[in-house]
Amino acid sequence: MKLSHAKAIFIWGTVLSSVIFLALTYDSQRSFSKRTHEEKLDEHVAAGKWVWQKYNCNDCHTILGIGGYYAPDVTKVMSYRDADWVRRFLKDPPAVWPAERKMPVLNLKDQEIEDVIAFLTWVNGIDTNNWPPKPLAVASAAAPNPGEEIFKTQGCSACHTVGGIGGKIGPDLTHVGSRRSKEWIEEQLINPKSHDPNSIMPSFAKLPEKDREELADYLSGLK
Amino acid sequence: MKYETQKIAYNYFLIATLLFGLQVVFGLITGAKYVWDHDPLINILPFNVSREIHINLLVVWLLFGFMGGTYYLVPEESETEIYSPGLANFQLVLFALIGVTAIVGYIFRWSWGMPFLEQPTILKIGIVIVALIFLFNILMTMLKTRKWTVIQGVLLGGLVMLALLFLFGIFFMKNLTEQYYYWWWVIHLWVEGAWELVTGAIMAFVLLKLTGVERELVEKWLYVETGLVLFTGIVGTGHHYYWIGTPHYWLWVGGIFSALEPLPILFMVIDTLRDVREKKIEIENKTAVYWAIGCAVMHFFGAGVWGFAHTLPQINKWTHGTQITASHGHFAFFGAYAMLNLTVIYFAVPRIKGVKLVRNGLSLMALRTMTFSMILIALSLAVAGIVQVYLQRVLGMDYLTVQGFMKLWYAVFWASAWGFAIGAFMYIVDFFRLSSTTSARAQQ
Ligand code: HEC
Ligand code: HEM
Ligand code: HEM
Ligand SMILES: [Fe+2]
Repeated sequence: MKLSHAKAIFIWGTVLSSVIFLALTYDSQRSFSKRTHEEKLDEHVAAGKWVWQKYNCNDCHTILGIGGYYAPDVTKVMSYRDADWVRRFLKDPPAVWPAERKMPVLNLKDQEIEDVIAFLTWVNGIDTNNWPPKPLAVASAAAPNPGEEIFKTQGCSACHTVGGIGGKIGPDLTHVGSRRSKEWIEEQLINPKSHDPNSIMPSFAKLPEKDREELADYLSGLK
Repeated sequence: MKYETQKIAYNYFLIATLLFGLQVVFGLITGAKYVWDHDPLINILPFNVSREIHINLLVVWLLFGFMGGTYYLVPEESETEIYSPGLANFQLVLFALIGVTAIVGYIFRWSWGMPFLEQPTILKIGIVIVALIFLFNILMTMLKTRKWTVIQGVLLGGLVMLALLFLFGIFFMKNLTEQYYYWWWVIHLWVEGAWELVTGAIMAFVLLKLTGVERELVEKWLYVETGLVLFTGIVGTGHHYYWIGTPHYWLWVGGIFSALEPLPILFMVIDTLRDVREKKIEIENKTAVYWAIGCAVMHFFGAGVWGFAHTLPQINKWTHGTQITASHGHFAFFGAYAMLNLTVIYFAVPRIKGVKLVRNGLSLMALRTMTFSMILIALSLAVAGIVQVYLQRVLGMDYLTVQGFMKLWYAVFWASAWGFAIGAFMYIVDFFRLSSTTSARAQQ
């Protein structure tokens, strides 16, 4: 091979790849509006994106799968947490999720919390080609118990263990159904202080009643 | 060393070496937070802050190394002195000041908050100014004699590409998908594009000088390798456009092109080994040659093999954004770019200092220790990543619970990282020993 051939490989390889790439970039750029629902991208979302950057959330959490791997991916967080939970959490993360590995208290202002929730809600709507994937185990199992789902999404396992998995701050709930009735558990969720005046368990009175019932159904069945 | 102004490179290598040491310290601090969940520094130096410092120091020391390498290479290729040594030194001080400001700023929570590009906008503008001064100085030097060797051409092309791409990381975009689309133009097109050109050219120069092989042969391969790097790597950016809100066709396009990326990296290994085997002069500086070979091989495994392992969308769907990525990030950055800079340093510093370096025991010990530890780091993070993918993505266990099951591998990772730190320390000691050796006490 002569030097001139090598040079031709260099030039034509670069040009060809650049042309393809720029053409696809043009097309992708045009698709963003629809794939990301830009009509819902208002000034709160934009402000929330800046909150996300200003506090450098991204060097602990991934979003769209990019960032630090120290904390959970937040791309679809608004699919499994309600805004109220996130609000309480962001105010004081260690209180709401007292795991050993903690998120620091960032002292966000109330407006910043609202904005970042608007941002995460918008991100939740991005068409990510079905990423993250549905777990195979769940996808193949029969419909999961709705109460079990709520138990997961409300972060109960930060304090409670079920079947050996979870936190140690509250009692083990693996066999809670053998000592507590469904009504008792519902009461515990609405007002934990009714059973123990010094309770440190947060109240879940703000959950829709249906969710509380399904939770209590699930737990009282754990004999 | 043939030209007086090649000495400018030394200060760049010196700063690179110091920042490398600091990068490793912050790596250890960041890694400790995985091993012990309870973080006593949570309110002073939380994970995000120590991580941004760790990865910024990485990029900055590598850039210092590239600049030093360039200042060493260009006079010899252009057969003339650097256009303005004053500008070269000013540029060094300015860049160092911006770097220090950024790091101190991070500790006080002053951050722009996009990974790797956390520098606040005003500092980014400063970095652009540094780049302009640097490019101006290099270009003016080349224009003095207009000796457009292929090595110089590829080097200049890579440096200009590097600077231009940085501009895509400066602007705030409201749409996160769009922001990340162009963020990859910096991150990916740097490491799998521009930086490959810069380091390819520098490596070609070093091998040419060390082995005395024909220039035409070296330059021909340089064209082919960098041509294939750009051909596969530019469209290969698509391997980051699978899941960020970009169209579905990227799964095909990105998958196919990026799967070809290891090919030119394999050529580089073959090329390096051939140059050494078919050497035309007796190689004196064995130390630099060992580093060069180590770099070629580790580059191939870290970037080529570890990159290929998760580049196809069918696999990346499961591994995206897990410790698998961290494993590859460490392996590739070390093998391709950290080792390239260490190779250049062991090639150029003895020449600058007028020392005849032959076989330097401590340096080779550092080479072995760092390489071996980095392999352990990559393997332990890979196992942690496999555990994570299986429990979290396949079985659907919750994030923090899974982190608990990964503890053992984090501990192995952290222990290996201490091994790496010891190797890095040996290198730093050796660098200063080399710097203070006078030609009278030539080292063995
Ligand atoms: C901040 C930690 C925390 C969180 C989060 C939490 N709990 Fe509790 N929970 C406790 C503690 C502590 C107790 C022990 C009794 C008390 O202090 O009220 C308790 C007690 C209970 C009990 C009674 C167990 C028994 O045998 O007496 C049930 C049932 C329960 N929690 C259910 C839940 C459910 C369901 C959720 C999620 C919706 C939840 N908890 C979230 C801390 C928590
Ligand atoms: C003592 C050695 C080191 C330790 C303990 C260490 C530790 C870490 C940790 C904990 C992270 C954060 C990962 C996360 O976000 O979850 C990280 C990121 C990173 N480190 Fe290191 N590191 C070390 C050395 C190095 C070296 C030598 C290099 C390269 C030459 C390097 C390159 C990187 C890169 C590129 C990232 C970002 C990874 C990504 O985004 O996937 N590190 N490091
Ligand atoms: C020297 C060259 C390379 C370096 C320094 C490098 C470094 C990195 C880093 C630091 C990341 C993580 C970025 C982040 O999200 O924070 C990454 C991601 C990735 N790299 Fe590389 N890389 C190199 C070459 C390659 C090659 C040649 C391939 C493919 C063959 C490849 C495939 C990938 C893929 C697929 C990801 C995305 C991982 C994910 O989805 O989370 N890389 N690389
Ligand atoms: Fe890439």
